[in-house]
Amino acid sequence: MNTHRPVRALSRALSRALSNSSSSVQPSSTFPLKNVTKSNFEPALAELRRHVAAADFVAIDLEMTGITSAPWRDSLEFDRADVCYLKVKDSAEKFAVLQFGVCPFRWDSSKQYFIAHPHNFYIFPRQEILATNPAYEFLCQTTSIDFLAKYQFDFNICIHEGISYLSKGQEIEALRHLSLAYEDELLAKWSNLKEPVHMPVVKMADTLFTERMKNIFTEWRDGLLRNSNGELQLQGNSNDSQQQLRIIFFKMRPALSLSGFTSHQLRLIHLVIRRHFQDLAYVQINGEKTCQQRLVVRTDSKDDRELLMKEVKDEHCRQAEVKVQAAVGFRHVIDLLSSEQKLIVGHNCFLDIAHIYSKFVGPLPSTAEEFVSSVNKCFPYVVDTKMLLNANNVLQQRMKKSQTSLSSAFAMLCPQIALGKKSTDLAFQSCVKVEVQVDDLRSSNWNSGAKHEAGYDAFMTGCVFAQTCSHLGIDFQSFLPSEHLAHNEKLQKHINLLYLSWSNRDIIDLTSGKKNAVSLGYTNHKKRYPEILFENIALIWGFPSKLKARDIRECISKVFGPTSVTSIYHLDETAVFVQFNKEKFVSEFLILKETLERSDGPVSVLHPLAGLLEGGNTQAANYETYKDICSSPSSKILFADQADAVGTKWKNKLIESKAAMESLERESFGEKNEVNTAFVFC
Amino acid sequence: MASLPPLIRRRFLSTSTNVPKKWAVKEVTKLNFKESLEEFKDHLAGSNFVAVSLQKTGSFSAAWHRPQPFDTADTSYCKAKYAAERFQLLQFAACPFTLRASKLTPHPYNFVLFPRDELKLGMPSYSFSVQTSHLTSMAQEGFDFNACIYNGISYLSRAQESAAKVRIGNPSPSTYIMNSSSTHTVADTVFLERIKSRVKHWKNACRSSKKDDALLSSLRKLVLGSELYGSRPCMNIDVCSERQIQLALEMLREFSDELVPLIIPAKGGGTQAVRVVLTSSKEDKDSFERELQNLEEEQNQRVRGFREVIDLISASQKPVVSHNALNDFTFIHSKFLSPLPTNVDEFMDSLHLVFPHLLDVNHMMKNIGPLRKVTNIHAAISYLNNHYFAPIDMENLPQENEEGTVHRHNVVKMCYLFAKLCSILKIPDNAMTSNNALLAPAPEEYTNISNPYPDSPQESINDDIRIWTKNMKKVSCNHLVFLWGFRSGMTAGMLKSLLHKSHDVFSEEFDVRLVDKSCAIVVFWRPGLSETFLDFVSSEEICGSLREIVSEGLRASSYEAYKRVCRLGLWEANLAESLDRALEDPDCLVEANLAANCKEIYWSSDSTINFDNL
Repeated sequence: MNTHRPVRALSRALSRALSNSSSSVQPSSTFPLKNVTKSNFEPALAELRRHVAAADFVAIDLEMTGITSAPWRDSLEFDRADVCYLKVKDSAEKFAVLQFGVCPFRWDSSKQYFIAHPHNFYIFPRQEILATNPAYEFLCQTTSIDFLAKYQFDFNICIHEGISYLSKGQEIEALRHLSLAYEDELLAKWSNLKEPVHMPVVKMADTLFTERMKNIFTEWRDGLLRNSNGELQLQGNSNDSQQQLRIIFFKMRPALSLSGFTSHQLRLIHLVIRRHFQDLAYVQINGEKTCQQRLVVRTDSKDDRELLMKEVKDEHCRQAEVKVQAAVGFRHVIDLLSSEQKLIVGHNCFLDIAHIYSKFVGPLPSTAEEFVSSVNKCFPYVVDTKMLLNANNVLQQRMKKSQTSLSSAFAMLCPQIALGKKSTDLAFQSCVKVEVQVDDLRSSNWNSGAKHEAGYDAFMTGCVFAQTCSHLGIDFQSFLPSEHLAHNEKLQKHINLLYLSWSNRDIIDLTSGKKNAVSLGYTNHKKRYPEILFENIALIWGFPSKLKARDIRECISKVFGPTSVTSIYHLDETAVFVQFNKEKFVSEFLILKETLERSDGPVSVLHPLAGLLEGGNTQAANYETYKDICSSPSSKILFADQADAVGTKWKNKLIESKAAMESLERESFGEKNEVNTAFVFC
Repeated sequence: MASLPPLIRRRFLSTSTNVPKKWAVKEVTKLNFKESLEEFKDHLAGSNFVAVSLQKTGSFSAAWHRPQPFDTADTSYCKAKYAAERFQLLQFAACPFTLRASKLTPHPYNFVLFPRDELKLGMPSYSFSVQTSHLTSMAQEGFDFNACIYNGISYLSRAQESAAKVRIGNPSPSTYIMNSSSTHTVADTVFLERIKSRVKHWKNACRSSKKDDALLSSLRKLVLGSELYGSRPCMNIDVCSERQIQLALEMLREFSDELVPLIIPAKGGGTQAVRVVLTSSKEDKDSFERELQNLEEEQNQRVRGFREVIDLISASQKPVVSHNALNDFTFIHSKFLSPLPTNVDEFMDSLHLVFPHLLDVNHMMKNIGPLRKVTNIHAAISYLNNHYFAPIDMENLPQENEEGTVHRHNVVKMCYLFAKLCSILKIPDNAMTSNNALLAPAPEEYTNISNPYPDSPQESINDDIRIWTKNMKKVSCNHLVFLWGFRSGMTAGMLKSLLHKSHDVFSEEFDVRLVDKSCAIVVFWRPGLSETFLDFVSSEEICGSLREIVSEGLRASSYEAYKRVCRLGLWEANLAESLDRALEDPDCLVEANLAANCKEIYWSSDSTINFDNL
């Protein structure tokens, strides 16, 4: 990568220069953006704190190890908003973030341009503490990894040098764990000694050793009492024990440092001290370079001893805190963005936000509403550029109906940055200028040339946002440094609206938790035809693989009438959604299927549905079951396998709903009978 | 990336060339795969064993997921299967080697793999799991992830290859076998006559077309449906049944020597048409058929990718030496052969067809008492070096201190260990070199991989398990009881003393062992006590201190529940959680009655075991 990037960038610049030779070309600067790994994280974080504090908005972008854990987990047209959220949740929980782009933008009113500081953080979820927890695992989607490789992503840097992190939940857990560790350790040893099963017949050797240590400590303590000037000797001891017991001072108190004892011997010593010496304390301290030191400390009184023990414990806690703080790692950046309450800008960033939440805040809640309200507390102002671009008719025209992918939006809205040329187009007279600063390098015409690198993508997102604001009529020139961009009246109605799913244009409002907030003048471009009614949908899977949508429609239409099936939609090759024109057909279909499967008579073989049920593996359920299957943590490649794996749960539910149906059935007996006769004669 | 520390940069750039040895590990990526494959083929042909060692993206997610001494062949297979299906292989080291009169000649290859979707068919693997701890330690050993992901060799399993062939839909030469006994129906005759006249017209037209003007020839093309296949003219005969294909092929064979029929597969299986290619002469026909063959070969190589190596090893029928056979071969089976079958017997049968001779170094080590517990190759080698005189003649053994290349040499070390073990265990090295399909009796006892801890070779076929790796007593699975739901932080000793006072069954000798923090095993030495205990725990009359413990949440179940956990794949982080889920299942009771076959396991009688280190 080291060699590739500059070469690529250079050749790009060259070809650009050649192709654009007619327009006025400025040589675009190609210095790399700020790459941050664990080796330069501390200083980079300190600097970022300054930039974020001064920024008007911060653009972000993430590179993940994958998007969907199974093909059917991709967002589909037939996904209700709650299912959309479950799919996003699954993705954020299973995949890892490898690169995190952060780019603060600040309006320089004297120079009339934005200054951007693109940062590219390599992150890798190493387990630095809490090694006792189950191994940390994440999923990689082969195509996503291959995609990153295509854009020269450096996996070696990421795995060797990526910054690790702890979520808030993990941090609390780790602190508790580490501060308890000290007490537990002492306690555990103590309890082991009392344990009758574990204390084999007290060995002679132990008794002798205990006696000897008791004598030594008594002697030493008595010696201290006799001449309090500290000049004392361990009289009558062999050289051996002089090496093992070294006299030192610990927190202004005389102490013996124990070394060269086995852990069993140390346990016995601890026991002796506790049993026989009121004024001696056994303490364990962490010296430099993690080597542990055990001391026997002489205290003046019982109170003094308590005091000492407390001091030692506090020190342990402090050390644990320092260790945990270091392990928090990249989350400091997230905490910074959250505490500064800056406007966060992303491009189609609902998934990004879900990743941020699950990695750095805590486990994702089970519903979108809970999620959104928690997110709102951490990040009160989020704006999505994809949303903005589709929200405004003026912008849509400006985009000339081209795609709203990040790179095409960037090329369209910010040609002066994207292509490095001064446009002669009158429409672009109002281009917002952006100057990039990386360490001491500055350029108003910067292009790192590294698309799909999180830092660069964040930069592009920010540029698109700045330009969009200007098209929305926000005048940066009269912009006061004290003004909060998120409160700008022209922008306010777009704040905190995100696409829950781009494929069916479901919008969610982070402030209110409302879904489908179409009322704000957001035109729903893609008219769904026919309209999707989730309660009219039955889910069928495990049918013979030769059956196509057309065959299934035919089968069902024969039973429920030619217009009964509104639409059929393939989830994957093993499953379909069937939308009926009436809600009751769903339950009737499920009951009919059950009945046919129970009876083996010739009628069931001749029944029009027999083709669908052939093979005996065909399963069917209502839309709620689809939601349940989506919420399952497992991810089989084929939907039919997934449904079978989740199996037991939906089966139980089906029995319940069937019982409910049967009671309902009895009520409307006449109606049901009608349908039944229809089966027989069609 | 200017900030890259020099140490790391050096690690990335280091190659095996700085090791001055007769043998050097050959790194193979997709860039040099083709020529390396030829070389490997030669080395394989000239050697009498092949050692394999795999680099995976993960192993076991929780402590109890790894094979335990109390596992039966079936449960340990379930565990290995679970890992093999989720994790990915990033490197496959294969080392053909010869061992003659304690002279070892290894030819190590490291094939770097990545499951890239080369054919855009969503194969070989949609996604895979990764353990960060695994990647971190691979990184420390100097594994180059960029080389792996950018240039790793892709592959398809045998099962995936057949699926892919259908979906790619390349024309293939016909494999028609003359069936003289078939009689033609009227419909057949009509079909035959129709296509015969079409082919005749088309052939004549092709022969005479040289003089035609452009307009005429293009008209003719339209009318006759004539096209070009490469530089040769061809036409398609649409067919709608297997029968029609046979008829068409039969007719073409009788019709002319210059026609070559090709089968055009339909999307989603079956045949769409028969394509007839007209060659200009007998020689041209031969050369065209050769062309087709080469094309197919090339296509196959592209599809199989790295699996070519597996096929070569399999075809060579050489004994395959590995260090942890069950784990490695579940991976190999699932990535390169076909999806793993549900039980261990089917797996062994299926594997045996592909690799008839498997040798597990780990098993061989079990025959040397002190090595029973050693799993590290390096430690085993140094133990053998210190305790046995068994010189192996090989150019210097790779050293641990060669920074950044440790992972490359594992397979060579394994060969070395194998050679040493052969020498110490007095396994004649010609025993396996003979081309006889049956192995000599001596090494056969090391070939069983189904049981991770066979006590002795004769018994390894049974489903025996044992609890500790030291002295064992045979114990039936029926005598085991799983306990969970006790207070966290309990040690086995605490649990034992608690139980001791709680019920009469515990007045006799019994043992307790923690499986993980959440779950323990109790072994009753007298038959029938486990049932008594289980009945008592679930009965109304439960009383005394046991009642108290049970009311605090203690649960108990037989070994069946554990088997169920493994079979259903309820791989929670804590075994207690998994057992709870297994008992939740409504089918549970039904199955418990069916499973009457009891298995025997081994239980250690060694009382000085440290309960806390389990």
